[in-house]
Amino acid sequence: MTQDEHRFQNGDQVRVRIACPGGNPRTPDYLRGKSGLITALRGVIDNPRDHRDAYPFMYTVEFGVAELFGGSSTDKVFAEIHEEWLEPFGD
Amino acid sequence: MTQVPVHVDSHMKDFEAHLKAVEADFEYYRAKRLEPRVLYYIRRGSVPLYDLLKAVPGAEDGSPVARVENEVEPHDHVHDELEQRIRTLEDRLDEYVRSIAATTADPGTVDVVIDDTRKESGTYDAFFRIAKRTHEGSMEQRINQLNRELDEGMFVIDVLRRALMASGKLTQEQLELRRANGTFAGPWNGGRIVARAWVDPEFKEALLSEGRLALRDLDIPPGRSGSILGVAENTSAVHNIVVCTLCSCYPYDLLGEPPWWYKHEIYRERIVRDPRGTIRDMFDLNVPDDKEVRVYDSTSDVRWMVLPERPDGTEGWTEEQLAQLVTRESVIGAAPALQPGQPVA
Repeated sequence: MTQDEHRFQNGDQVRVRIACPGGNPRTPDYLRGKSGLITALRGVIDNPRDHRDAYPFMYTVEFGVAELFGGSSTDKVFAEIHEEWLEPFGD
Repeated sequence: MTQVPVHVDSHMKDFEAHLKAVEADFEYYRAKRLEPRVLYYIRRGSVPLYDLLKAVPGAEDGSPVARVENEVEPHDHVHDELEQRIRTLEDRLDEYVRSIAATTADPGTVDVVIDDTRKESGTYDAFFRIAKRTHEGSMEQRINQLNRELDEGMFVIDVLRRALMASGKLTQEQLELRRANGTFAGPWNGGRIVARAWVDPEFKEALLSEGRLALRDLDIPPGRSGSILGVAENTSAVHNIVVCTLCSCYPYDLLGEPPWWYKHEIYRERIVRDPRGTIRDMFDLNVPDDKEVRVYDSTSDVRWMVLPERPDGTEGWTEEQLAQLVTRESVIGAAPALQPGQPVA
């Protein structure tokens, strides 16, 4: 896969996988199984001081605090997630 | 370092909370920082186990290895009043944390990437976590236990230091330099970055859309880190705040060390669950109901900072003057920028 190829676009609804066998371990537990909205495309990030291997294409995803933890909050959490952890959600 | 919900008062009001905080912090730094580092050095052969054992004082000549405490300042564990004894524990914990930060191999001699240390400390896989100890019994017993554990912890650091120095992976000069700078030293470009964004709309646009690339305008080098800088702008409708729930990712090369609470488990757990309430309880900041709170959970690939709102009454100020209003708290979103004439807290 080249650096430019990616599955999702800004505005896509996605769901974070609950588990990602063989996937990189950087997705925080509290986001797993939750749905959110792609708000930025970050690309494949070459960051050799932090990790030796290239990780898949990265997105910024917006989540509602209410979706994550219940309740009526309208506040938001934004997190960066790699493509292998995401699947399409909704229509 | 140690008091999370409790402010440092002239008199300690809640002994239990202070003691609990020391216990939790000590275990965190032991099991997540110091001991994983020792294991990492052993596994990669940077400091083989034999070299580590050989560095124990008295071990070279084959005599029985007894724990040597003369390197550690003697502490009177018995006679202090309770409050004084807990304060002593807090001071000793600070020293422990500073010593851990100072006692690492020269980066030129051991190649460690952040991902490696997270694997080693079990951030990604609970199997690798170092078991945490419990602290039970009377307050007296728990204080004694912590003093013993701090003795032991300082001893481990001392042996690691000796082993690193014996193999040339740490020099006396490096150690002294790190100690002189403290663990909170680091670059601070937050004031310049924010002040430029306040006075120059084009720079602000570039900063928000391109992050790090825009900083070339300020002669700030891109740095060795390959990470992206995300910048979240506070407005009349949105209040942003930054966290790293997995560990402590932060744009260190631009902003130096974050405030101590940034790495604390309580902040990291609470801020995503209840952003508004956490900001109110921990930072005494009431975000109006009609303002949305946005939490940015950083990773090592995308590290976030907040662009605070420009304070009223600063029309016509120079960039240098404006930069003085920008605090470490304000670029994380825990406080607004200082008001004109407001003293630094």
